[in-house]
Amino acid sequence: MIRPVVVTLLLMAGMGFLASQSSDFLVAQESKSEKKAPGSVDTDKESPKSALAETKPPKQMDAKAIAKLIDDDINAQLGQAKLTASPRSSDAEFMRRVSLDITGVIPTAERVVAFLSDSDPNKRSKLIDELLASSKYGHHLADIWGNLMYHVDSDNRFVTKEPLIKYLADSFNANKPWDRMVREILTADGEQEKKGEVTYFLANRGVDKITDSVGKLFLGVQIQCAQCHNHPFTHWKQTEYWGMAQFFYKVNAQVQRNAKTEVKPVVEEISRPQRKINPLPDSAKNVSPKFLGGGSPRLSSTKPYRPVLADWVCTPENPFFGKAIVNRVWAQYFGRGLVNPIDDLADENEPTHPALLKGLAKEFTSGGFDLKQLVRAITLSEAYQRTSIPTPENKSDNVLYSHAAIRVMTPEQLFDSLTSVIGTLGESGKLTGKMMGPARTPPNARDRFVAFFAGSEDPKATDYEAGIPQALRLMNNPRLSGSQNLLNSLARSAGEPRKVFEKLYLMTVSRKPNDGEITKLTEYMARAGDAKTAYGDILWVLLNSSEFVLNH
Amino acid sequence: MFSQSLQEKSRRDFIKLSSAGVFGLSYSGWMNVLAARAAEKSGSTGKKAKACILLWMAGGPSHKDTFDLKPDSKGAGEFKPIDTSAEGIRISENLPLLAKQMHHGALIRSMSTGEGAHPRAAFNMHTGYREGQGGVAYPSIGSIVSHEIGKKDFTLPNYVSIGGRSYGSGFIGPKDQPLIVSDPSRGVEDLRSVVSGARFDNRVGLLEEMEKAFYHTYQADNINDHKTTYHRAVTMMQSKEAKAFDLSQESSSSKSAYGSGRFAEGCLMARRLVEVGIPFVEVTLGGWDTHQDNFARVKSLSAQVDKPMSALIADLQTRGLLDSTLVIWMGEFGRTPNINARGAKPGRDHYPRAWSLAMFGGGVKGGMVHGATDKEGASVSEGKVSCIDFMATVCELMGIDHTKENETPTKRPVRIVDKGAKAVKAIIA
Repeated sequence: MIRPVVVTLLLMAGMGFLASQSSDFLVAQESKSEKKAPGSVDTDKESPKSALAETKPPKQMDAKAIAKLIDDDINAQLGQAKLTASPRSSDAEFMRRVSLDITGVIPTAERVVAFLSDSDPNKRSKLIDELLASSKYGHHLADIWGNLMYHVDSDNRFVTKEPLIKYLADSFNANKPWDRMVREILTADGEQEKKGEVTYFLANRGVDKITDSVGKLFLGVQIQCAQCHNHPFTHWKQTEYWGMAQFFYKVNAQVQRNAKTEVKPVVEEISRPQRKINPLPDSAKNVSPKFLGGGSPRLSSTKPYRPVLADWVCTPENPFFGKAIVNRVWAQYFGRGLVNPIDDLADENEPTHPALLKGLAKEFTSGGFDLKQLVRAITLSEAYQRTSIPTPENKSDNVLYSHAAIRVMTPEQLFDSLTSVIGTLGESGKLTGKMMGPARTPPNARDRFVAFFAGSEDPKATDYEAGIPQALRLMNNPRLSGSQNLLNSLARSAGEPRKVFEKLYLMTVSRKPNDGEITKLTEYMARAGDAKTAYGDILWVLLNSSEFVLNH
Repeated sequence: MFSQSLQEKSRRDFIKLSSAGVFGLSYSGWMNVLAARAAEKSGSTGKKAKACILLWMAGGPSHKDTFDLKPDSKGAGEFKPIDTSAEGIRISENLPLLAKQMHHGALIRSMSTGEGAHPRAAFNMHTGYREGQGGVAYPSIGSIVSHEIGKKDFTLPNYVSIGGRSYGSGFIGPKDQPLIVSDPSRGVEDLRSVVSGARFDNRVGLLEEMEKAFYHTYQADNINDHKTTYHRAVTMMQSKEAKAFDLSQESSSSKSAYGSGRFAEGCLMARRLVEVGIPFVEVTLGGWDTHQDNFARVKSLSAQVDKPMSALIADLQTRGLLDSTLVIWMGEFGRTPNINARGAKPGRDHYPRAWSLAMFGGGVKGGMVHGATDKEGASVSEGKVSCIDFMATVCELMGIDHTKENETPTKRPVRIVDKGAKAVKAIIA
């Protein structure tokens, strides 16, 4: 079925071609958008201003209007299916969900208490703004995109990921417009040390890998099958694949290949296409560069190819670009895409809400590719803010958004949430160049945890995939299953048990225990005899509960 | 596509059934039913191995210094061949105990594969695919066995890897990930509760109540899946079977039969695990990357293999398990037929073009050799076996249809073994 393709690499040690590019990529326009956001507070403390100004600023995306667009479409379909939606989520439910979704970590007990007691009718939209302004927003997205752009495999043993994570986190936090960011990634060249975005080409060496990846990640198109044969289900032909691949034929990604020889990781476009290293299959020998489903540009042999591709990809007119990212962001917040699989926007693969996908993509691309504004719109929608508690009638619906989907925390979310409760695991998260190199075991506690809990290649957000080893670790690992410091301080605080129970619930499941639970816990404590023992047990139970590990 | 959905359904059914008494042992009756059914099924497909122990020689052992000696060749090396219990088969003098078991085993001396770098070759020999091929994360043979013939409701994981991380389940998902035992003398990590048994029971009881209430309100499948996984983990902690991971239960005579060291302990644990029904166990012995000082190192490594591996085969035989347990000895490739000129203590370099592996028990025709290399041990002269041919052979011995397709999460069908594979029928009894 799949022809093995061996991709050899060109190693050009010592080629020191460095394109000088402006590192000042910060954008003026998103700071403005933050200010104008309806119901927002002053959130752009963290968005540095820049002298660079867009010549023609696109019109601002109106988050409230887009939220309405979402709800009109979704409610219409629910109406057609004669389904009644579940009611709005409780404040506690909403806060935990939106914190995990935007910042990748559960809220602190203090923040939950403040939110629950806040009587401001606009507190939800204020919370959204607060979370979007937190630097954790960018770090959470960097985790997600880092995993997509960099696969842990033996080819990448000597490719460091950290510069990519830094680039992604900074860019997302600065709310760099998506078209600009993807252009930077697609045309990146220079030393990895100076430019984290080149990591994408370092970690996807060979024209077939990068063609597949660009198709999936930025265009939402799975063309990888067409590498070897005409795609059986779609109209993608093998010539289409190799036409796209042409744009990457001048890329030289130079990485360290073994532990002994140190090589400075560099990406550059060299003067000649590397036909010998990346041979074309016989059936696609005479393919000229061609945009996917589009025209064939004339490439100048003296100029780099990738900017030509980026000119086509990163535009409002591109038929895939806007939809692809809108669908991904949607899936991040709802647990499934408007199109599924989320990277398969082929005509043959119908969206569940076609008009909505089209409408959102149009708003996003004509509104300055503003990711934070898109998130704001999604999280302001009724559809997002519904409770995940189903009604007897809408229980079996998992397509029409009658109730929120319950999703499983990603390993990164789980680690960050656990450590937010029990404290750090006593290891420095700092990576040094030497440690990042040939080590097979990830060098810090978070990376090790993530590797241990990582699920299948393309996990469904709603599937609980962890197995026995993971459950054993959570239950029995002395570091993960509790914290003596925390328990000592809880026991010392000498508050009445009811207050301690409340604190334990707030810090783990972001809600107060109900009366029934308090009765049960009080009984439990009486049986346990000793308060500290009981608190330790309750903390253990909470951290091991599905209510903790699920984003509901 | 169809089989996947059926399997999905039966998993859900199982979850529903088991959620009745989540942390109790009330579903043991159901387990017996499943076990009986599994026995029925395997009975109908003829005599097949029920378990596989893969002795993984990380680094790539030199074929010319272990199972394919060429005393008259240019790069013959220092070792002499000796006779074995199988007529006409001669192996290295450093494997005298294993030589006595040779009538239970078959050698393939005509392996020829396409990867010459450690990680890629090890991936290839574990999965049957080239790493990165078609952008799919392929499952290793251990995960395939776990997925295809492992019991879904087993109290223990169906794939255990001792002494190394090995290769995982790829797109078929974490339920078939290996349980990793880094140090056999210490057993399974995190298997024991940090609190007393009684207190642990209290905790689990309270957790069960909390889970029940949460499910009652939210009713999502993943809540049940979480509950089921915890149930399996708790059951494992409390099960008799988990004692299989505890080597202190072994008599000192059986311990001394296997010898000392991690690999020996790993072999002993592998027998204990197979005995309780775990279908795939991998035990790793590293150090075979003998670019330098090949002969002293291979001699020492052979000694580390000889006693435990022969004890394992004999032990399985004594316990009536050898016929149903396939034991494989192999690494990711062989080593160059010539001796390199590197430094004072020369060695041999990576060599995937022609190399050997050994298989014992589990439906293998004993006392035979398949294939041959030329007089230098440099190329296959007869009966070439590729990586996928080997994978298909293992599948056939285990009663797994290697042409079966599993679906990736993106609905792409991927065969267990890639097209074009031919099982080596000659070594199948």
